[in-house]
Amino acid sequence: MALPLPLGLTHSEVAFLAEMELVTVVPRQRLESIDLLSGKTPPLRPPHRADLPLWLALLLKKQRRANIVPPPWLHPASLAEIVHRETKVHPQAFSEPMPTSSRARQSEPGFAGRIGGDGNGEEVTLSPPFQGNCTSSAPAGYLPYHWFEVAEALITHAGDDLGGNTSEIRGLLRDLVEVRAAKMRDSAETLGAEGQGGVVSLRGVGAMELAENRGFVLGVVDGVRKIGGAVETARREREEEMDLGGGDGDRGGYGGGGDSDDDMGI
Amino acid sequence: MSYYDIDSILTDAEKIPCTFQLDIPDLGYLDNTPTQPLKAGTKVSLPLWLAEMLVIANTGGPDNKTFVTFDLPRALGNDVVQALKADPRAVPLRDQSAHFYGLATHMMDLSEEQELGSVLRKTFVTRAAEISLHARKVGGVGTKGKGKDEGSNLGIGGAGEEFLRGLDEWERKLFRKAHDGAKAGKEWMESIKKN
Repeated sequence: MALPLPLGLTHSEVAFLAEMELVTVVPRQRLESIDLLSGKTPPLRPPHRADLPLWLALLLKKQRRANIVPPPWLHPASLAEIVHRETKVHPQAFSEPMPTSSRARQSEPGFAGRIGGDGNGEEVTLSPPFQGNCTSSAPAGYLPYHWFEVAEALITHAGDDLGGNTSEIRGLLRDLVEVRAAKMRDSAETLGAEGQGGVVSLRGVGAMELAENRGFVLGVVDGVRKIGGAVETARREREEEMDLGGGDGDRGGYGGGGDSDDDMGI
Repeated sequence: MSYYDIDSILTDAEKIPCTFQLDIPDLGYLDNTPTQPLKAGTKVSLPLWLAEMLVIANTGGPDNKTFVTFDLPRALGNDVVQALKADPRAVPLRDQSAHFYGLATHMMDLSEEQELGSVLRKTFVTRAAEISLHARKVGGVGTKGKGKDEGSNLGIGGAGEEFLRGLDEWERKLFRKAHDGAKAGKEWMESIKKN
């Protein structure tokens, strides 16, 4: 292979993308709005919360200029619920991804508003990094696309903001990783099951898990395809023969080459 | 399969038991009788690339016979298939052939084996799940699955090594891929703690 780079995104690339996720911070100092390529950051006024990209939040956190409010799904109770759901309730499927493009307003249950929608009728379609899946207003009990990267970054750099139970969170995350890795392995077996058509659902799988298992899953798909290839060609040939044979049988012999086209044209 | 694919070339060199259907002069040395012509009905092991050509081509004679007929090689024989049906994980495929799946897909192209395909498919995916398990558990940098289980937290001892030694080339590639993924994950986890 000419290019030594693996297919798809590497782990560090995924982690880099995850740094675009918005997280909620409580600033300790005033900071004016910064005009970035991706848009203006909100101005920081000390007691008021603001949503910042993860990279900026971590930078401010390291300089002790802000505290990070952990997203609700990183709370031990939420993680424990997901672990329970993944192991007991749906032992086969990955848990549902976070609801898209909306964010639940916790003060007004049942309402959800677009993050970018500012009321002038302009629809803003948001893809995962901008959905606000990691802000303090994200719903609990779901795992966002970048769950693993964001969780690791927050535990490592903002452990003191997580309410002092870092080791518990770390343990639950470890459980989740193991449970979902086992599901990923089992997905290989469903891939090869007869009548499945070589399809496996990866709904709800996080970016980091995809990066880790991409090579393996593609390898399995490729292998099944190669093994099935010979059987498939044989089956097609047989079907063609059967079609031809049926046409001949009706007329009791050869000699009607023109007619057989009509038979098959149905 | 690329022209330069070394595994494909090596697969073509696997021997297939063939039976000649015709007397062929001057080929007696294949059967260790250089002075005699090669008799019809002689069994000779031919490499796959040659056997394939001889099986497909016909002699052009009145009876439309082919030059040779072939049997399934021992690696795909009934014993092995039955063992695979019983437990795919217990068969060291490498002992049968280093290019087991490559050989098998080739043979399926040539012969009309219905059952072999589904057995192989089940074998491949069952073993793939097992491979993935081992690939995650083999720890350390650059061990490349040579049976070092220093980072293992499951008690994979001799049994795991035994299994890994029995992988054929396709499965080794798969192990490599799964292991690279797991290793990259581990390395990233360590790098995030440093900065």
